[in-house]
Amino acid sequence: MTKRVLVYIALGIGAIILQKFLDDFASIESVSPQLILLFVIFLSLREGQLFGMGGAFLLGLVNDSLVTHFLGYTSFVGVVAGFIAGFFYKESEVELAAKTFNYAWISAITLFLSEVAALPLIASGELNYFYAFVKFTLGTTLYTSVFAMIIVFVSGRRSRYV
Amino acid sequence: MLKWLNEFFALAKNYVVFALLVSLSLLLISTNNNTHTRGLQVLGLFTTSYLESGVHDVLGYFTLASRNRELEDENAHLIDLTARIRAAMTENRQLREMLNLRQQSKAPLIPADVIGRASDGGRYFLTLDVGSSSGVKVGDPVVTGAGLVGTVFEVNAEYSLVKSLLDNDSRIAAKLVNASADGLIVAGDFGQLTMKNVSRRYAVNPGDIVETSSLSSLVPPGIMIGRVTKASDEPGNIFKKIDVQPSVDLSSISAAFVMQYVFPPAAASLESSKLQKEK
Repeated sequence: MTKRVLVYIALGIGAIILQKFLDDFASIESVSPQLILLFVIFLSLREGQLFGMGGAFLLGLVNDSLVTHFLGYTSFVGVVAGFIAGFFYKESEVELAAKTFNYAWISAITLFLSEVAALPLIASGELNYFYAFVKFTLGTTLYTSVFAMIIVFVSGRRSRYV
Repeated sequence: MLKWLNEFFALAKNYVVFALLVSLSLLLISTNNNTHTRGLQVLGLFTTSYLESGVHDVLGYFTLASRNRELEDENAHLIDLTARIRAAMTENRQLREMLNLRQQSKAPLIPADVIGRASDGGRYFLTLDVGSSSGVKVGDPVVTGAGLVGTVFEVNAEYSLVKSLLDNDSRIAAKLVNASADGLIVAGDFGQLTMKNVSRRYAVNPGDIVETSSLSSLVPPGIMIGRVTKASDEPGNIFKKIDVQPSVDLSSISAAFVMQYVFPPAAASLESSKLQKEK
């Protein structure tokens, strides 16, 4: 278990670094794929709801402190995502949920709901709710889901080769 | 309680942790000072105040019954206190008037407490705690600061009985100050007095002062009796019908003075000798 946690920590740090990279180079009109959230969903599907929420909170704290400087935002969205994804967790079907195309649609649903939860925070500035919903909620969900499918496809191919 | 909490947490731990982490995240977000968090800060403030008022209402509901009892007790206490204060004020006013009377009176005054009241079949007596041993005699007028009460008609060593103005046998010579008309004050109806023998030619109006007359041999002149409440002419009657409200409230009187008034002896002997000569 300790080894697995260490692996998750390493993967989490990697996700934060990669997220920063994606924000800088892969964003379209300020919308970028949410790799951290995909990792949180993966954690929840693999280890359960509590683990996913706890991991999301800590990962979010690190990301917000070092990268976004908007303390609490990633934690909030991450905890919501971990909570929702936790409902799809089944001990007997871990591999099925986390490593097949199921992961893609679970991610899509989870991302959509967690982005909706975060909508009041995004839209409470100058943006109106409809604009924020279309651009950030739908945009982020779509972009990240595509990214999730790519990850599933790549990891699936790799596991087949291994 | 602890067991129940454990069971509850085992069942709902995921939800509890979720709520805790979301709350922590929102708390952290609210510490950021930018436009995105202002709405959240307002929302947090509103939610906190709403919850606080809700908790306050619930707590208030449970303390309502005891609070109600406390207020009822306090209300009863205040009513009792008000009644005592009113009684004390009335007594204070009467005593002040009596003190003033004592300073102004030329005749000696014997202070007395009213220890009894009796009214039956047109009789209206007061009992005073002073008697002949204090110098009280039959016929002495009894007064307060507000005016005339009546005259002593029975006396023993310790106590005396006073025939009040409302007694059916009471007859006091009186004078209308404004009209300078003399008459006789007797008991009237409903706690009022009636002034008799005032000719219709006098102009009498409600509010006119009635006081003791110099024609009386029982009481000294100038003691307030009351005020006219109604004056009317009756067909076939040469005298006016005058109702007078007594200045002394006989229902609440608690103290009085017995006035040691002596009609001038020379005048009394002159009157009696003249009457005997004419006989």
